[in-house]
Amino acid sequence: MSRTGFSYDFPHASLVSIGDLNPLDVRMIFERSAVHFDNNRAGTRAERTLDGATLINLFFENSTRTLASFEIAAKRLGAHVINFSAGSASISKGESLEDTALTLAAMRPDLQVVRHSAAGAAQYFARVTGVSTVNAGDGAHEHPTQALLDAFTLTRRWGEVGGRRILIVGDILHSRVARSNVALLNMLHADVRLCAPATLLPEDADRWGVQVFHDLDEALEGCDAVMALRIQRERMSGGLIPSDREYRALYGLDHARLERAAPGCLVMHPGPMNRGVEIDGALADDRERAVILEQVEAGVAVRMAVLELISSASPNQRYVSDSGDA
Amino acid sequence: MSALLFANARLIDPASRHDAPGDLRVRGGVIAEIAPHIAPEAGERVIDLDGMVLAPALIDARCRVNPASTGAAGIEAAARAAAAGGIGTLILAPDSGAGLSRPEHFAPLEAAALTSPVRLLPAGLAIDSAGEMGEIGLMLRAGAVYVGDGGRPEPDTRLVRRTLSYAGGFDAWTALTCEDAALARNTCAHESDLSMRMGLPARPAAGERLAAERAAVLAELTGARILLDRITTSAALKALDAARARELDMAATVPVTHLMFNELDAGGFDARYRLEPPLRSEADRLALIGALKDGAISAIVSDHRFCTGEAKAHPFPEAEPGSANLEALLPALLTLCAEGRLDLLDALWPVTAGPAELFGLDQGRLAPGAPADLIAFDPDHPVIHTPGARVCAASSAFDNRRLTGKLLLTVVEGAIIHQPES
Repeated sequence: MSRTGFSYDFPHASLVSIGDLNPLDVRMIFERSAVHFDNNRAGTRAERTLDGATLINLFFENSTRTLASFEIAAKRLGAHVINFSAGSASISKGESLEDTALTLAAMRPDLQVVRHSAAGAAQYFARVTGVSTVNAGDGAHEHPTQALLDAFTLTRRWGEVGGRRILIVGDILHSRVARSNVALLNMLHADVRLCAPATLLPEDADRWGVQVFHDLDEALEGCDAVMALRIQRERMSGGLIPSDREYRALYGLDHARLERAAPGCLVMHPGPMNRGVEIDGALADDRERAVILEQVEAGVAVRMAVLELISSASPNQRYVSDSGDA
Repeated sequence: MSALLFANARLIDPASRHDAPGDLRVRGGVIAEIAPHIAPEAGERVIDLDGMVLAPALIDARCRVNPASTGAAGIEAAARAAAAGGIGTLILAPDSGAGLSRPEHFAPLEAAALTSPVRLLPAGLAIDSAGEMGEIGLMLRAGAVYVGDGGRPEPDTRLVRRTLSYAGGFDAWTALTCEDAALARNTCAHESDLSMRMGLPARPAAGERLAAERAAVLAELTGARILLDRITTSAALKALDAARARELDMAATVPVTHLMFNELDAGGFDARYRLEPPLRSEADRLALIGALKDGAISAIVSDHRFCTGEAKAHPFPEAEPGSANLEALLPALLTLCAEGRLDLLDALWPVTAGPAELFGLDQGRLAPGAPADLIAFDPDHPVIHTPGARVCAASSAFDNRRLTGKLLLTVVEGAIIHQPES
């Protein structure tokens, strides 16, 4: 691949956590993402940087959109993609996780994308197998490509996210999306706010370099973008929140609430949405405000950039790439 | 609303610790003027109190309405009894009716409030009997004064923690029953030499202490404001003092019955003294009175509960716990004063300024601009607390007790709502 403009090689053979990246890494990812984004829109399939590579999608948790996004991203770059998902015979035979990882690694994939319900799973797979690994969500820990695609979406809109006020509202406690986003947006010098009932906020959230709110109207004051997180149905019992009605009344995003935010405040959601709970249906459909589909579109471009960059840094890279400088 | 002038009163305002002769003018539902002497204006109704006490009307932070009449009628009956007891603000306990866990459950109360002589306010049920969190945020928006477990100590510490965190996000007081659930289960008496001789299933004072200590730990963890609902032992008082010394946001209420009675009153298996929590030792009672002098107790509550004669017509352990106390609250406190155990300012603070400060209410004080919620009483007049002389004739631990102190009138928002025949 071309590295014109960079005097720096992308150094990471895996992407497990936003904390692995520095601002220059993020800039490289965004620059490549922009190229892919435009190509994807134009229908151009010129960048075959993973031609001949094999990628395994290893999804121990159910997923439709993230799995599809990684699969499309890899295929657009010319890679062969094999999907293993939760419930498929290969990963539900009582085999230990280590055996599964080593078995698949023995087939010599070039890249693996891992989603698992346990925090630390992606790092575990990367360490045990030595295969270039992208974390597609590990428990409540991180989902770095989601944060990258969110920040990339905003960067496309604004030029940069630094200095912008961005609010994340919803179940922060259980959200890997929130953790990755806080890390990335802080790195990019955004003014980050979190808003949730106290039961859905980690105890030490005020030490995350963010402002913490329990009142959505206060939190929205002057925001340039607001990201609603999905509220899981199972949170409605067990004393985290009283009811979806109360959650909607206190933490649901709608047009009226957004009056408090900065003019033109963008609305984001990592999906899948509970319309009428964390986000009002009319707001989700408002193409002036909601960039939810743009996030999905950016997701493919950002994952293309991440896959090609980490594979370029992988010591195991064996396939022939078009640029010849790997 | 016509102007009203109370002349020649002994004005007692616990909020400012004011106790001196004076006059007080009411206009437009609020206190307009307080001065040693106020000249009557034309057309003004003058009530000469002839040295009797004029004080803020009482605020009762815990009254449980009859579960058998959960509708507006049951609440109205309680409101009338409250007026006759000098209570100007009645806060319905979270376990009123079938439990007030959603804002819709306030509807009967809102209906009753339209005609109620006294101010009616709800408290919300934070954890229902199924272990689910009530709609705390929506209830607080709908006017709940505080939220609480409604007299049912929750054994699941994680659920209590979450509830405290959630309610703490709204800066609300969460009332926790000061009992250890397992130690209190199926008991009806205070664990002591006496209850053991009587063969009553009993709970130790340590249960209260455990609950108070647990609450303190959870207050520290969550930063929430915790109201210990009805402490009755010196063990719990010590835990409360220790928590406050650590600057935790904790407060406590005490039921009026436990200031007046001890376990010996229930010694004859008299079901009228079957209370929840049970009557404690004399040392506990005296410790609670001592705490009133120190200002450690934020509110004395009537803990009124309507029990029918049938509900009480059982052997002591099987009788329904509870006592009708709305009309006994004031004379009971005045009796403690007449006995020399308390002065009027200390006795009245936890039923006026104490709960008003706790819950941010405007009433409960004698000050220009404050709501004209007032009572006048004769602190030395003996009364016999007979069921026939009361508005609420339900079973009461105070039945036929000789008390000292007679209510002369109750005023809410500048209107005289109760004035017994003299």
